[in-house]
Amino acid sequence: MADAQQIEAELLGFVRREVFAPTVELTPETDLVAAGFDSMSLVRVLLFIETTYGMWIPEKEITAETLRNLRSLAAAVCRLLHER
Amino acid sequence: MSGKLLLNGSDYLMLGFDHELRRLGYAGNSCQIILELGSSFPRARLEKRILEVCSRWPIVRARPGGMFRPQWKPGRNGGPTPSVRVHRDQEGLDQQLINESLASDRGELLRFDLIEREGGGACRLMFSWAHALMDAPSAEYILALLGREDLQMPAEPRPATNAPAAASRSKFSARVKLAWKTLYRIEKMGVKGPRSLGTRHSDAPRALGYRIERFSAEESKKVRDNAVRLCGLLGAAQFHAAASIVELDRLHKRLNKPSPSYVLPVPVGLRLKGAVEPIFSNQVTMLMTQFLTEDSATVERVATLLKGEMQEAMRTDMLESGRVLSDLFRFLPRSPYMAVLKKGLGGEICSLFYGDTAAVNPNLTTFLGAPILDFAHVAAITPSPGIGVIFYYFQGALRVTVLHLLPILSPDEAAEFGLGLRKRLLEPGIV
Repeated sequence: MADAQQIEAELLGFVRREVFAPTVELTPETDLVAAGFDSMSLVRVLLFIETTYGMWIPEKEITAETLRNLRSLAAAVCRLLHER
Repeated sequence: MSGKLLLNGSDYLMLGFDHELRRLGYAGNSCQIILELGSSFPRARLEKRILEVCSRWPIVRARPGGMFRPQWKPGRNGGPTPSVRVHRDQEGLDQQLINESLASDRGELLRFDLIEREGGGACRLMFSWAHALMDAPSAEYILALLGREDLQMPAEPRPATNAPAAASRSKFSARVKLAWKTLYRIEKMGVKGPRSLGTRHSDAPRALGYRIERFSAEESKKVRDNAVRLCGLLGAAQFHAAASIVELDRLHKRLNKPSPSYVLPVPVGLRLKGAVEPIFSNQVTMLMTQFLTEDSATVERVATLLKGEMQEAMRTDMLESGRVLSDLFRFLPRSPYMAVLKKGLGGEICSLFYGDTAAVNPNLTTFLGAPILDFAHVAAITPSPGIGVIFYYFQGALRVTVLHLLPILSPDEAAEFGLGLRKRLLEPGIV
């Protein structure tokens, strides 16, 4: 099973490629919402997680804390995968 | 720059709406940003900035052309330099100005109206642009560049065209197959097709009108909290759209114009987050969503359906399908394209025009030294349906522009809709 670090790297690669412009300096600690992450970006990321890890993140897990940055999102994905 | 620049499918659709509106006697498909300024500035200072923008981007004076591949033709000298007209403020002036056509076929794609108040001091600036040239985020960006001499013009003078997505590089047959999904979706909507308010006065064009609902900081926070409660953390746009549909349903019923369903084309931005380019382009695709009347009674119900539709659309590639469809239409010459467009509008494919531009460009705090006290978006809408809304946040406070075509919707009816929508955003549970 993927660990949080691996998930973080995969999420970072995806959002760099598909969500944000190449000029945006993106790290695992970047504040996603402040950088322009919106509802459509979220759906794209959720679909990526579903395709990659076979799991749809429940709505109650989509909190300000989870979406603070990619590190917290990856940690949530990792926790949910282990809870399955 | 003397080279030609191709219009993308979304630009071409905006150009098509422009022709259709003009044919029906309206001003065309133009938009306005209206700034309330705390002090005035010399007209020459704005004209100087406009010249700088024109010399960097000749496309702002280009003419649309091209038989089989629609394109902007900047030409050697281009069209006229965008004008700055000065007016004395008077009642009804704003509505008069938004109903004056831009001569876009002669290269007038931008215009500025400076409205001075008696005794000087505060003034109002109306920036008009042809929607075929660019979308609202680009217009905000250009306006910020014009008004802030401290901002550097981007280094790249040549505007980039719409970068082709993977589907656009695929085989023609694969693109047709993908585009067909959108046509099939629209056809299915026809089973319980909508009947818009525009059917009431289809042959009586007059003018575009608008009113703005302004929310205080406290009210805006309440709307945001309601959006999070009903639509999740980033669901503000879905909440706005859902409240609009429920209020539209109420208006239809009050006017005794029941509709079996409501179709809402939801605009989805295609620019990568954090990118302003391509500037002179409409980077939007439309997702057609439909709500049956029996599902349109509560904001919660519409929001749930809308969220599900958006997720399904992403899962099934419907967004790319819509984009590819409009891209393919670019290869139709204007006459058959207009025939398709008119058939679509005549077939009631839209119940409400809806835009959500989110937060206004953060650089729009001052304009040529004058503090920006208020900001408004106004946009043209087509006779079917003859009603539209735009949501945006200026300095953290929500604004909603309600657009209506006279006589399809009177000012009183537009006010009724606007006030009803306001109440619904603040108290989404009200019946």
